[in-house]
Formats: sequence, structure tokens, C-alpha cells
Amino acid sequence: MNKRLRNALKGLMATDAERRRRAMEPFVRATFGMFIKYLYRYLGNEVECEDVLEDVYADIWEKPERLRNITSEKQLLKTVYLYYMRNRLREVYRRINRNLYLSQNSLKDLIAPEIGTLEMVSRSELQDILSQALGKLKARERRAIELWMEGASNRAIANELKTTVGAVKMLEFRTILKLRKMLSYYNRED
Amino acid sequence: MSDTNREIHELLVDYADALRDGCIPAFLKSLTREEAERIASSWEFWDATEISRILNGVGFAGKAVAPNVSLFISRVDAEIASRLKKSKASPPGKRPRRFASQKRSSGGTKNAAKRENRT
Repeated sequence: MNKRLRNALKGLMATDAERRRRAMEPFVRATFGMFIKYLYRYLGNEVECEDVLEDVYADIWEKPERLRNITSEKQLLKTVYLYYMRNRLREVYRRINRNLYLSQNSLKDLIAPEIGTLEMVSRSELQDILSQALGKLKARERRAIELWMEGASNRAIANELKTTVGAVKMLEFRTILKLRKMLSYYNRED
Repeated sequence: MSDTNREIHELLVDYADALRDGCIPAFLKSLTREEAERIASSWEFWDATEISRILNGVGFAGKAVAPNVSLFISRVDAEIASRLKKSKASPPGKRPRRFASQKRSSGGTKNAAKRENRT
């Protein structure tokens, strides 16, 4: 963990609320980029990410005890996700749940799931792992995923692959499951 | 996402698209009762969601527009100030006066504690 982040965390442990409030600025500066990129995985929307993070930081200011013995960035991210982000993510969707057919448990698992080993791997490491896995796929499967990751719609992917939208959806589903199988050894590390 | 009675592979792809496009609430609202049940009972769907999140993180989190941190810090500070104000307005240790009189009239600390929990 870098010195800036270590000092920011130390400041958060002050017992006086005003001192903690002053310590929030360096803490936010040191962690904002990391947290928003992580949260983006679950929301896919910058505006919502900011709204959730605002509450997350205020929660950290209010109850920073969970961050007392943090020694690495990875541990910080895991702790913040498990004890602060997850609650806020659930709250965002609990509000709309009255009109949904999905059960509370399914919604919880979909929106703020338990953390997988893969999800704690750093972004650059994940990129390497993914590009290796993508390299092992068939050309058509790889192209579908690459196009999807470039932001193409299913219709655009279907046009590119000269097939139907239904076939593209099935191809993407099968490929995601295949990727899951390829990457499963990371989950066994735990 | 307008299809009704989607199969599990269509549901997963629609979820991944919604995640990528930042419109998860629209996906959730589009689910019918049957589709929700199908999702709840499909291990394939749950297995695939983690990979969808990872693809979304790797593919798009870096491209997301980085907001102004200074502006964001002022938002966080305003939220903290509002919480501080709230906590100062109603200190948790302070009990309302009527509760003390009720405690005397009904007697017994157990009942008082129960009432306190209820309030």
C-alpha cells in the first residue's frame, strides 16, 4: 500500500468526528478511482456509481472501524465492498423491488453478490487472464465477445457474424459459460 | 428486452447488456414472474453473471468518464455535514421526558427496556 493511502487511513481512525471529516479528503483522493472502477462492474453507470459512493464514503466516516487493520489495497477494496458498498447497492435496488417478481434473495445475489476470487484480482491482471482465455476460444466465439466488449449491440454482432440475433445470444451465453469454466481454477484458489 | 417468456440464455445476455449499458433497473423491471423463477433456479445463470461483471469491468470501467474528484469531495463533505447536524440535533443518549415518567408509573426495568426497544 502506498504511503498516501496509509496516512489517509490513519487519519480516518481519529476518535473526533471533525478530525475524521478533515481526513476524508485525502482518503477520497487516494481511493476514488479504485472504488469507482470496482463499483462500475456492478452498476455500469457513472452517475449511479457516484451516488452510491457518496453514501459509502459517508458510512466510512461514520463507522471506520472495519478499516482499522488494513494492510493492502486489495484488502481495503474487499473490506469496503463487503461492509459498505454491498449494503448501499442493496438499498438502491430495494426501493424498486416492490414492483419486481424477483425474490429478495435473488435480487441480493444479482446486485450485490458474494465476492468471487476472480472479482478481487486487479484490473490489469484480469485483462491478462481474460486475453489468455479469449485466445483459447474458437474464432467465432472470440469475435462475438470482442464485439460485445466494444459495445456492439446483438443485432450488430449478428450482422458481423452473418447470423440471427437469437443465435448470437446463444453463442454469447455458451461462450460466457466456457470462459467461466476456463477461469474456474482461480475460484478454487480460495 | 421486450421479449416475453425469454429462455435462460436470453436472460443472461439481456442482463449482461443491461449491465454494460448501465440500465439494470430496466432489466429487473422487464422480468416476468416465470422469468424470475427461471433465473432463481438456474445455476448456469448465476455462474455466468460473475463473468459478465468481469467482462463489464475489464471492457468498460476504464472507459467510464472520470468525474471531477474535487467536486465529488465537496458532495461527500456535504453528506457528512448533514449527518453531523442530524446527530447533533438528536443525541442518541438523550431520552424523552415522558419516557421517564412512564418508567416510574409502570415499574420494572424489563418493561421499560422493551418499550425502549420498540421506540
